[in-house]
Amino acid sequence: MRFSLLIAAMLLSMALLPNCMRVSDGIEVDVAYKPAAMPAAVRTDLGYRVRLERAMIAIGRVELIRCDNFVLDLWNFVTAARAKAHEFSSPTSLGVPLVIDLMESAGVPLFAGTLRPPPGRYCGIRVIGMPADQDAEGLTDENLDMTRNSVVVAGRVEDEAGEDQTALLAQIWEILACEMRFDRPLVFDGPVVESVSIRIDHTKWFDGIDFALQNSTAVQQRIIENVRSSLQAVLPNVEDGL
Amino acid sequence: MIAALLAPFSIAAGASACGTCGVGDPTLTIVGFAQPKSQRVRASGTVRHRNDRIGQAQVDELRLAEQRMELAGAYSPTDRWTLSLMMPLVHRLVSAVNLAEADIWAPGDLEFRARAVVWRDRKFAPRHLVSLIGGLEFPTSSIERDAEGVPLPLEFQAGTGSWDPIAGASYTMFSDPWSVYVSSIGIFPTKGTADTKVGTSLRQTVLGQFQPWRFLAFQLGAEFRIDQPGYVAGVRDPNTGGHITYGTFGLVGLPHDKVLLHFTAAVPMIQRLDGSHVEGLALTAGLVYEI
Repeated sequence: MRFSLLIAAMLLSMALLPNCMRVSDGIEVDVAYKPAAMPAAVRTDLGYRVRLERAMIAIGRVELIRCDNFVLDLWNFVTAARAKAHEFSSPTSLGVPLVIDLMESAGVPLFAGTLRPPPGRYCGIRVIGMPADQDAEGLTDENLDMTRNSVVVAGRVEDEAGEDQTALLAQIWEILACEMRFDRPLVFDGPVVESVSIRIDHTKWFDGIDFALQNSTAVQQRIIENVRSSLQAVLPNVEDGL
Repeated sequence: MIAALLAPFSIAAGASACGTCGVGDPTLTIVGFAQPKSQRVRASGTVRHRNDRIGQAQVDELRLAEQRMELAGAYSPTDRWTLSLMMPLVHRLVSAVNLAEADIWAPGDLEFRARAVVWRDRKFAPRHLVSLIGGLEFPTSSIERDAEGVPLPLEFQAGTGSWDPIAGASYTMFSDPWSVYVSSIGIFPTKGTADTKVGTSLRQTVLGQFQPWRFLAFQLGAEFRIDQPGYVAGVRDPNTGGHITYGTFGLVGLPHDKVLLHFTAAVPMIQRLDGSHVEGLALTAGLVYEI
């Protein structure tokens, strides 16, 4: 009798046991965007002065690039170009769309999310600019056009003498895949927290454009190229830990 | 409810029987396979180990190593009925591709089963038994979440967190030194806490046993399981559902008249599980004590 009751008591007491959980973090890479500080007017390398009224970029996905998997990278690159924002996130990619107002957030880091990659060597990062989802962070009633565009730039351009002013409007709907290499590989072989800043220097977006001579299509094409080259992945300094 | 659950154990006061001789057949049987013997009480402790992988390797794979410790009691009020209660305590180590780990101890779902022998060829030392099985899993487990508060995949939960009726039938044939056990069990989960809905699961077992000596038997068999997909908040968990067949090999030993030991290794033979889901070797070891 005593033994039977003991078994019954043990069975029921097991049901009342509290949960016990211990979690240990693994490899984590925090990603943040860092737009450049915005001057009142941007002086281009050809001497034009651009006074921006709007400068926005919509980013759909960020992916870490392995050093040693060219085939996989190529496949990811191809599939990324067909992807829509919010399609998926994985340990090496963030599929959380974000609309960045470069006029508002100049100089302020914007946290994109945390990647949780497997061990390995990572040599770079890929940022996919694409039209935003309806639920993208940073999307407001004022910038709903970002659901149709990857980049929108509006403002006025003055010539070198400051005598002639023309309106500037570039609406880029193309998917922009920007691949950046780190200055050193990130090597992960155990749990660690790392961070990557993606600098966006939109003061360079108008370099190489001769607004007086080039038509709007050529201007837009050059802006696309400049947007791609204006992104830079920056790792914290190993020595100062920044 | 607690009183009802305790009742079989109170009624069984003073019950004592030899594990193999009381039913007129020398076959070694673990709980659930045997011919019930009136007032027989058996307690058992079982440890189960299994591995499970969900997701794409090197991309989003989660690995599970689980040890399930089950404490159970079975009581036969008559020579046709057996009532049993089983409570699991589950330890799980969930590893992500980024080397993050979640080490979880949690109670699983308390399970009650009733088995009724509906047909037998004779009362003493029957050679053929046909039984019906009914039961209920109680939602004593909780939904486990990862460090971000996201529920772990359904396959990695300690239980379903829902009231799950169980129904099935079994057939046992005894022909010393051989015996055969066939069962077909369905588990029909209802909606669980945290808005989860585990799919219906049908499990078939076919087991042959050869017992060359009084104290030792060998088992060979197959287990087939087919699952419906599971849903979380109305969205299908892509890595649930499908079917799997295990080949099993087991040993049953009788080191003492009141103690029975058993060990089973189950090797996945055919896996047709949906999504990215691979189940690994499952090992079971247990002890049954005749009270």
